[in-house]
Amino acid sequence: MHVILKSKARRAVWLILILCYGSCGYAADSFQLLRSDPTGYAKVKPNREWRFPQDHQPHEAYRIEWWYLTANLNDEAGNQYGVHWTLFRQSLDTEPNPGGWASNQVWMAHGAISTPAGHVYKQRFARGGIGQAGVELNPDGMFEAWLDDWTWRGSSASPLPGELEFEVDNYKISLSLNASTPWVLQGESGYSKKSAMGQASYYYSQPHINITGQLTHNSAPIKLKGKGWLDREWSSQPLAPDQPGWDWLSIHLDDGNALMIYRLRHTNGDHWYSGSWIKPNGASETLGPDDIIFEEIRRTSVQVSAEQSREMPLHWRVELPGKNLAWEVEPLSAEHWLDTAFPYWEGPVEVTGSTTGKGFLELTGY
Amino acid sequence: MTTRSNAWQQFVWVLTTLLSHYRRHPGQTVFMAIGLMTGVALWTAVQLINDHARSSYADANQLLGAQAGFWIRPKDGKRDGGRDGEGVPVANYISLRRAGFDEIYPVIESRIATADGELVTIIATDLLALPIDSLAGPTGSGTPFSNDLFTGRQWLPLIQPQYQAWYPQSLASQLGVAEGDQLQLPGSKRLPPAIIQAREQQGLRIFMDVGAALSILERSSFSYLAVTKLSPNRRQLLEQQLPESLVLVENQQALDLSQLTASLHTQLTAMGLLSFAVGLFIVFNSVRFSLLVRQGTFTTLRELGVSTQVLGIAIVVETLLWSVFGTAAGIGIGYLLSGLLLPTVAASLQTLFGAIVASEIGLSKTQVLAAWALTLGGLVLALAAPMWTRARMSVLASRSPSEWWRVDERARWQLAAAAIILMVVAALLFPMMDTITDGFVVLALILFAGAFFLPMALHLAILLALSVLPSSSWQARWAVSDAFSQLPQLRIALMALLLTLTANIGVSTLVDSFRYALSDWLDVRLSADLYVRSDSLDINQLRSSTSNKSWLINSHLRSGISTRWQNRPTRIEGLDVSAPDSQAILLATQIPNGFIEWQTGSNETVQPILANEQVHYLARVELNEVVTLDTPNGPMLFRVTGFFHDYGSPYFRFYLPNRSFKSEWPAASRDGIALWIRGDNFAAAEQALINAGAEPGDWVRQRDIRRISLAIFDRTFAITSALNGLTLLVAGIALLAALLAIHQQRLPEYAHWRSLGMHFSEWFRLVAVPLLILVTVTGLLALPLGWILSWMLIHELNVTAFGWTMPMLWSWLPILQLAAVTFSVVFLAFGVAALRVRATLPTAIKQLASDS
Repeated sequence: MHVILKSKARRAVWLILILCYGSCGYAADSFQLLRSDPTGYAKVKPNREWRFPQDHQPHEAYRIEWWYLTANLNDEAGNQYGVHWTLFRQSLDTEPNPGGWASNQVWMAHGAISTPAGHVYKQRFARGGIGQAGVELNPDGMFEAWLDDWTWRGSSASPLPGELEFEVDNYKISLSLNASTPWVLQGESGYSKKSAMGQASYYYSQPHINITGQLTHNSAPIKLKGKGWLDREWSSQPLAPDQPGWDWLSIHLDDGNALMIYRLRHTNGDHWYSGSWIKPNGASETLGPDDIIFEEIRRTSVQVSAEQSREMPLHWRVELPGKNLAWEVEPLSAEHWLDTAFPYWEGPVEVTGSTTGKGFLELTGY
Repeated sequence: MTTRSNAWQQFVWVLTTLLSHYRRHPGQTVFMAIGLMTGVALWTAVQLINDHARSSYADANQLLGAQAGFWIRPKDGKRDGGRDGEGVPVANYISLRRAGFDEIYPVIESRIATADGELVTIIATDLLALPIDSLAGPTGSGTPFSNDLFTGRQWLPLIQPQYQAWYPQSLASQLGVAEGDQLQLPGSKRLPPAIIQAREQQGLRIFMDVGAALSILERSSFSYLAVTKLSPNRRQLLEQQLPESLVLVENQQALDLSQLTASLHTQLTAMGLLSFAVGLFIVFNSVRFSLLVRQGTFTTLRELGVSTQVLGIAIVVETLLWSVFGTAAGIGIGYLLSGLLLPTVAASLQTLFGAIVASEIGLSKTQVLAAWALTLGGLVLALAAPMWTRARMSVLASRSPSEWWRVDERARWQLAAAAIILMVVAALLFPMMDTITDGFVVLALILFAGAFFLPMALHLAILLALSVLPSSSWQARWAVSDAFSQLPQLRIALMALLLTLTANIGVSTLVDSFRYALSDWLDVRLSADLYVRSDSLDINQLRSSTSNKSWLINSHLRSGISTRWQNRPTRIEGLDVSAPDSQAILLATQIPNGFIEWQTGSNETVQPILANEQVHYLARVELNEVVTLDTPNGPMLFRVTGFFHDYGSPYFRFYLPNRSFKSEWPAASRDGIALWIRGDNFAAAEQALINAGAEPGDWVRQRDIRRISLAIFDRTFAITSALNGLTLLVAGIALLAALLAIHQQRLPEYAHWRSLGMHFSEWFRLVAVPLLILVTVTGLLALPLGWILSWMLIHELNVTAFGWTMPMLWSWLPILQLAAVTFSVVFLAFGVAALRVRATLPTAIKQLASDS
């Protein structure tokens, strides 16, 4: 499969440094930002009172926040496509945001499109306060999340229903997003614990997004249709110091159920497991470590730069013993490494087992 | 029969014998090394600087590593002053980004005055907006944001209040700014705390975050938007989406800079080559001495049956060894020297052409090879060729002193003949000179003709002196005729001295003439007392206020646009024809009544225009010729009725009366207003300015501009005097080497004199007087040569290179200064040599006694 690696490792390094090390001193690991000392930022606590649609807006008192969409789509001929679009926000310091050019908010966006021909992706950066990027209600009171021309516009104060448009390397994607089920609060009512040491985030999702749209690239538009998953998460310290990264999986099963599982890896091998089981009507059930078997089957060589490849777990066995369900997960293609400031693997997967399905796998810290 | 190993042994033995000379005469060896090293070093330094500057131009369209292929500027070519309606509004930038043009990033580039009246340039951009793809710098030093820069808390404070201002070290020293200092601007404004660090292509500019610059400079717009790269499709799309007021222009800065600075680099190269030539004279001098000493060795070797072939190879090897040594040491010193000289050259380039030169010099393989090739070529001329001639001289002939004398006599005549040939060639080439390189070739021919003629001139001068001295003054006659004994040895050192003095006189005359002309011109050009550039000033209020009558004599509001004409950056300015400074414009030439015609305008459709001399000499436009300028309404024709002086400007410039300028460029912004103050009423004037909305710091007094302009001039030519001084130093070394060689050789003779009862003071007079005569004659010959050199530089090379003329100012004061320096150098060299004679004479006398 043809892989287009837009960025070079060196470029990534300095951008990592830009984004992360304003406030911390580690040079090798871009994810250090997620582990750095949260003193002065707002703390994530249990029993949050949720308010929608306000909570779709930024929470600047917390260090980091994201709006994260993944989607498994098909064209009319049945070819599979993957779409992944993320907007990250960071508060550079703990002071109140002075706004304008002095704003302490920084934005980063990732857009990636996976087609039968290959995988293209791009990252963008912008400072807050000047209108170049942000998440806010537009003058008509509608949700808008954007960086440059990459835009998600809701038709109300909620992102759903909404329209997403972005372009990567001449691949232009425009999607209509709709959901009829309620938002799913992950963890304990949206309080998602990440380690036994108290690291946590606020986390809610919409796993049942129906998507129609089109992809334009050099020729006539290709009509696309499928399912998407939106994650909203914010925190001031989502990772513990001994967690080098995570493996995250979301699955849309063909019977209408959805499953999300993640494993936060601990250096001592005592990993942190969590997840949720979401029924077609949106009712969800949080899964704890005892409910989940999430195991690597084998590792595959992934090209991470023009010169380098790395072994990564792209094939997984997933079991929910309590429900007597088991699946095997395999990627559509191994080459979905994003050599960005925060480098990671993110790509569409196929699921076989108790039921079939499709999903997205995300691997960080490799 | 000789076996191969025997031949090898013989060769090694011959080489060792030849090289043993350098061990036995360490003093001469040191001088030869110094000559070679200094020559190569000066040439290398200049070469390194030139190459470095040129490669910097290639990166000129970079800002912190982002390559700008295009610029987005206001369509009407308004000069950016940061006022409302000037530059590119922030809102336009955001709209373009939101339309998906992430190739665009904002830049503020602003020249501002500090509270102390220094002018500094601010460069600012948004690091986060810099296109990511362009930030993949080359490995190593080329990476614009080195990784270490953003570790720790370095990046955040740059973009957050109270911000940071990054100063390159040299600028910080110049301004007296230490880490953490906040440069005071006029009024109560200050720049952010200083950080002493420079990024690639920052030049002598202060780097800031663009948000900080907007806030501190109280701007609402960017100077321009830079665009990294655009495919033809993207370009078309961008042009379609640009607001009406903006225009996309291709960045031709690198091309412009290469063009504009070419002449300066040729001049530097010429000075570098001159230094190398002077260095070679020292080598030549040492070789002469070594030949003299080694003559016996050559003859003995030949008598022992060593073939000329083996001798030849040994000479080649000796030459190679010296070339490797000279190149290595020369490049080492040259590299250090270039580091010392670079800030001066960089300052010249930035003030003259706005060219930004990075501060780190790299050494390439090509440069090393070029230096080696030049050294080797020089050594073949100065070392191998004379040695080979001597080695082939017949065994008998080389033992005969008369042969030596004949060689000397012949050399003098040969040199004189060569001088005549060079002069003839120069005279033939002179009318055909077209480029600055041609000009330097002719100059070199004249200079070397002068140098080659010197021995003959000195010989004739001594003969003349002898013929006029009465036969009774035997001591004077002895002293003068002693010059004959010194001349063969001193010949080459004096030739080097002649070259140096000529270059010194020529270049200092050029610089003095330029400074004088510039200073005169500034007096006329800057005849007003106050120059105001203010975004908030209400000019009508200032002019109409009746209270102003008490202090305001006159005012001149200028406006102008920047554009390109004949592929060169060009300014078109509208002038108030009745203003005092307009009436006093210094015209180099005009058609009859050209200036009046320009002032009053013409009834014809083609309006009169004044152009700077650069338009005449570089664009080859003649008086009365019609030129086409692009206006917002399409191309317009203007007839040139006169050319005005515009000293030192690398740009084309046109003046139009305000009335016709306004009708062609109605949207052009005002350039500033000049005010003539009655008496000493500055306080009233400044108060009136504030009342009319200007802010403190918006105006500069005439004397400050004048002082700054001349300071920039002096800084620009500092490199010239530095190179001049260094060349003179090299010539001084050549002279010292020659004198030491002469005296060492003549020690037995001096021992004789001493034993005959001659006092040291008598000896001193006897030997010093001829030296004085020789140096004086050399100096006198340097005068006409220096005059020719300055004439050529001012009337030919300057016009070809820069496109403007100036009167030549021949001033005796610097020449007297040079004479004083030269004689000091000569006496210093002679003093050292004399002390050595004094120290070694007793040994020589003993030697004499034992010999007899």
